[in-house]
Order: sequence, then structure tokens, then C-alpha cells
Amino acid sequence: MPLLEGRNLRKTYRLGRTNTVNALRGVDVAIEAGEMVAIIGPSGSGKSTLMHLLGLLHGPDLNHGPRPELSFAGQPMVDLGEGERTRIRAREMGFVFQDFNLVPTLTALENVALACDYAGIRGEPARKAALEALGLVGLAERAGHRPAELSGGEQQRVALARALVNKPRLILADEPTGNLDSERSAEILALLRRSNLAEGQTIVLVTHDPEVAGACDRVIRMRDGRIQPAASAVPAGDTFVADDRLLATA
Amino acid sequence: MRDLARRKLRTTLTILGITIGIWALVVFGSMANKINALVEGGSTYYEGKVSVSDGSGSAGGFAVAPMSLATADQIRAIDGVDVVMPDVSMLMDADGASMSMSIPPMIVGVVAGSDEDRETFPLHYAQGRALTPGDEGSYVTVLGADLARQYDVGIGDTFVIRDVEFKVVGVLEPTLTAPDQTAMLPLAAAQELFVASLPPMIRDGIDPAAIATTLTVFPAEDVDPEVVADRIEAAVAGVTTMTGKDFDEQIGSATAIFNAILIGIALISLVVGGLSVVNTMAMSIAERTREIGIKRAIGGSRRRIVRELVTEAGLIGFIGGAIGLALGALVVVLANEAGRPSGNVLFELTTGTAVTAILFSTILGAIAGFLPALHAARLDPVAALRYE
Repeated sequence: MPLLEGRNLRKTYRLGRTNTVNALRGVDVAIEAGEMVAIIGPSGSGKSTLMHLLGLLHGPDLNHGPRPELSFAGQPMVDLGEGERTRIRAREMGFVFQDFNLVPTLTALENVALACDYAGIRGEPARKAALEALGLVGLAERAGHRPAELSGGEQQRVALARALVNKPRLILADEPTGNLDSERSAEILALLRRSNLAEGQTIVLVTHDPEVAGACDRVIRMRDGRIQPAASAVPAGDTFVADDRLLATA
Repeated sequence: MRDLARRKLRTTLTILGITIGIWALVVFGSMANKINALVEGGSTYYEGKVSVSDGSGSAGGFAVAPMSLATADQIRAIDGVDVVMPDVSMLMDADGASMSMSIPPMIVGVVAGSDEDRETFPLHYAQGRALTPGDEGSYVTVLGADLARQYDVGIGDTFVIRDVEFKVVGVLEPTLTAPDQTAMLPLAAAQELFVASLPPMIRDGIDPAAIATTLTVFPAEDVDPEVVADRIEAAVAGVTTMTGKDFDEQIGSATAIFNAILIGIALISLVVGGLSVVNTMAMSIAERTREIGIKRAIGGSRRRIVRELVTEAGLIGFIGGAIGLALGALVVVLANEAGRPSGNVLFELTTGTAVTAILFSTILGAIAGFLPALHAARLDPVAALRYE
């Protein structure tokens, strides 16, 4: 059984009074547990929208067309209320965004511990878990620094530590390397791959970088709000390049 | 960095707004406390008895013209009258009325025990003793707390009233009302002082031992003071009476106006302080839209977001309230110290007022922060994350 399974996923955004955007025009998608999947496509193809639906940040459109379905770990998600979806996000999912989204007034450690707090873990256990997660991304000694005192790559590693700290089943990353140079990108990818291998975590990342996509097990191509049927395999050579870099930085 | 400084400035200004409101609340509240205590004291003092004074020219119950003690005998004969206690009350200062919002210093002369234990107004002695019937004929005094503090005298010291030296034998605990400003004398001494204050032509025809300025009438058990007052006015010519009810009617309306002013100030500070908290929180939330988006995305519940922001707003209110209270307390202490030599002790800062001010500002801040917080918690996390 897939960890995530969606059917008939549609999403229309309204821009202004009359202008609407069909971001998703009916998508069927399945993601197996333990997979590391890239969603690629040009901008406006609906890849971020798909990720927001998979990450329960938005619900799919329910009217005009066949009823959408979305299951996570076998549980139906479409009819869940906001509170329940928030709870699942806190406990079962980890998020990494393009802009190293950290809370500016909190230290690295506090940023990571915030995710523990939301998952119901507080005090010393949360501190220990947060330190451990920061250690995993190689930033244990920067725990007391605020985001402004960290480089872009370091900030993204803190965000990654925050996504990993609750050992979630699913990690969703929206352009996690979009604002990083290739060396920092490789670091982030290597860390994602490591937790994918070590913890068996399922990883879905949205990217427009073919190299990043190439480092994943599978690529979902999107165009105009639909998944491209040609789910072609990634050329072997690309994977090796990515693996080489992975070994070099690990 | 600049953004943070800007936020600091705005937060400071908001706190200042609340500070001013709470400051006003504390100062005026303290003034109301003092006045209410005076009124309450007066109300208690006049309860259950009838004050009789000369009808020709009395002011606020303190008679200017003397009455003959024969009037006391006349009143004693009236049905329902139990005890009649004559006294001589007058302003302490010879030059008459000083401009003052509080009660001016008074001297009250009465034969100790002539109330036959009917007086219920509680007096406690900080130093020394009460006057006794044996003090009649000697020049001794018991001073109210404010007087003793103002002139820095204690028992054994000499206290000069209208050029006559009195020996202080007792000092009262503060009562927050009239006795604080009163020197209690034996009746005979007060009668002499009173007669001495009259113009020489009138003075010669008066026997000091036969006069009083007020007759305090204690009704017999189960007799309404109002009924007794009516009977006295009907039976004795040229006197006016004052009961607890009269006092409440006269003074109560003044107190009501003052309390209305206080409520007005509280409302203004509520509106101004509240709006400024709403503004600060709305701006602060707009600046932190992305931060709120992150928190919601990684699993922060709406309730958590609201709680964090409401706590923050409550804290702004609390800090503003605490500073306002501190400044208000400072003003109260300074104004009281400045006014003490002239007897103008206008403020009484009670624990109740202090606690109310702090609670009020904290709750005000929290309530004002609630709507912006609710708005923030309802933001779409995805849109909030993209917010620039």
C-alpha cells in the first residue's frame, strides 16, 4: 500500500474577482513508503500545488468533477478538519521550504525544538532531540545562533533538522536547494538521502533542477496542472554524478 | 535590524499609551479612594444620631454661632431622646477657612464619656491615652494622626492652638477621615477658645461654660433618628438638624460625580490604550506573516498562534500597566508629601486600586490583541509563506 495516494486531485486558485488559475486539473499520484521522489516541471505546472495538497496545507477542490481522494498511511484525509490536519503535519510530516524559513527571533536549537513542541514533546526531551537533529546536519556547535548569524546553507540545514527532529514518515521539500549554490545543494541532498536510507523516511521534493531530480529514485513530471504520462527513468549517468557528490560531502 | 528597531519603537509607544492611561487611572483612583473614605467616614459618623446646631448660620454641620446648653436640656426632654452630648467644634486656624479640598484642621471639645458609650465611631490610639472626665479644667489634647505627623509632635510635647499651649496626651491611629485632622480637647478648654474667638462686644455677655456649637443627640433604642430630628426641629426654635441620611444626600451626589469622572478616565484609557494595542499587534502580525505561515505549516495549531500573540499583547498591557502604576504611585506620594504641611492630603493608593490597574491593563492588552491574533491564525499557511 502506498504511503500517499491521491486521485482526482484538482485545485483552482482565484486571482482577483474573475481571474482563476487551474493549478491542478485532475491528478492521480501514488508514493510508496521509503521512496525518494522528485516532482519537476516548469513554473506554473502545479508542482508546488500538488505538494501543498500532499502536505495537507491545502485541501483539494471538492466540486465540479469526480470526488477527489487522498490517503496518508491508509487514512482518508479529504474530510479532515483543520485541527486534525495540523496535528498530522506536526507529528507525521516534516517540511523544508525554499527560503530557509526559520523563525528569526529563535536560536537554531529553539527553531528545531519548536517542531518538537508542536508534536507534543517539550522540555529536556525536546532539547535533546533538537540537539541530536542539529548534530545530524552537522550544526550542533551552532545551536545557540540565530538565523541571521548563519549562512544560507546553514539555515537550510537547520530547517532540515527541524523537518527531521520528530522522525516523521514523510518529508516534503519545496525547492529546498533553490537558493543554494551547487555545493550547498549537494549537502542538503546528501542529508535527505541519508535520512531516507537510515530511517526509511519517504521524501517528496519539488524542484526545477534536473540534477537534483536526478539524485532521486523517481521523477514525476508535471505540465499544465497534469502529470506527464511518460514517467521516464532517469539516465544512469546522472545518478552516478549525484552519488559521487553525495560521497564527497557525506 | 532596522526593522527590529522600528518594532521596538512602536512597542515602546504602545506601552507609553497604556502607561498614561493607567497613570491617570491610578492617580484619580487614589483621589477617589481618599474622598470616598472621607465620605464613608462621615456617613458612619453621622449614622444613628442627630447633630443639632444653631439654625442661623451653620456651614456643613459645623456651627458658627453658639447654642446655649439650656437647649440641650430642652432636647433631653423630647420623647425618644436618650443622650445629648454637647461639644464645641471649630476650625483650628484663627483666620478661618483655608482653601482646601480635604477636611481642614478642627478642634473638638467634649467632656469625655458624655456620650454615655453611645458613640460607635472607632478610635484607636497610636500613642498615649484617651481624654477622661478628669481632664476637664486642664489643657491637654489628643491629636489626630495627620496633625501629629504634620507638626511632628508626640505625647509629652506641647501643641499650641490659638496661642494657648496644650500638652499632648494621646495620638490617634489614622482613620482616613475627619479625626485625622482633629485635636480633641476637654470641653471647658474648647469653650474658652471659642469665646476668645468672638468679637469683644459679644464675648462679654457670654458665659463660656454654658455654650456648645453642636449637640449630638443619640436616640433611644429602636427610635428612628429621622423621627427624632423632626421632633427636635418642631420643639426647639432656631436649630437645624443633620442625620446620616441628610449627610448621604448632601455628600453622596458629589461622590457620584467624582466616581463618574473616574469611570470616564478609565473608559478613555480603555479606548486609547486598546486601539493602540490593536494597531501594534496588527502591524507586528503583518510583519511576521511569514513567520506565522512557517509555524502553521510545521504543525502549529491555530490555538497556539492565538495564544502566543494574545500573551504578547497581554504582556504589552502588563508592562504599560506596571509602569503606569509606578509613575502614578510616585505622583501620589510626592503630591501627598507636598500637600501635607497645608493639610491637603488628597490621595490614598490602596492595594485594590493597584491590583485593579494592573489587571485592567493586562486584560485590556490581551483583549485588544485577540482580534489581530485570530486573524493571523486564520491565514492560509501557503499564502503566508509566500508573503513578502
